[in-house]
Amino acid sequence: VLVLTRRTNESIVIEGGITVTVLEVKGDQVRLGIRAPRSVAVHREEVLAELTKANRDAAAASPAPEVREALGALRPRSG
Amino acid sequence: VTAPQPTRLAPRELELPAGLVGLPDAVRFRLESWGDDDSPFGLLQSLDDPDLAFVVVAPELFFPDYAPEVPDDVVAALELQEATDIALLAIVTVGDPVERSTANLLGPLVVDLATGRAAQAVLSPEEHEPRVPLLAASGG
Repeated sequence: VLVLTRRTNESIVIEGGITVTVLEVKGDQVRLGIRAPRSVAVHREEVLAELTKANRDAAAASPAPEVREALGALRPRSG
Repeated sequence: VTAPQPTRLAPRELELPAGLVGLPDAVRFRLESWGDDDSPFGLLQSLDDPDLAFVVVAPELFFPDYAPEVPDDVVAALELQEATDIALLAIVTVGDPVERSTANLLGPLVVDLATGRAAQAVLSPEEHEPRVPLLAASGG
């Protein structure tokens, strides 16, 4: 892991037009400003972890054929 | 970019160049309609891994108000234009009983209907959840 020390309002620049700036440090919280091209996805790690788990759970729950009919008949409840 | 969505899922092949979140190798899929003729559900079967499949649903049937904006990174990845016809698919975690199944509205699949290319969007966790019951708990 590359370790860099930065002060408030200092940045690191990552190839690909990405700049990460330390905006504020308060206790154990750090506010970061991230400038990146629109094509670059920026996400909190825990959100990706949550989606990873959701995807794996959904794959693991791939239903047996007998479930198919029951699920296929599922419709929204009206009212 | 907004999504006019068909309710009935037509069989076709889909390519997810970036895979799914946490499953980057899951790239090539076949979407099959699933259930009886009127079923809104589909089966997204991996063509790379026969043991990998997902139940999906066009979310607007169960969630009429669900119309998220497609994130910029997905627009770029799929090279979507303003006039591109897209559809959303929500991955379903099948429950036991099936009435307890949930849909992932945090990470919908965005499908370019013309090319069959698709990507899993990562929406705002402040606005969307990964396990939303298909049937509202209070619905009877």
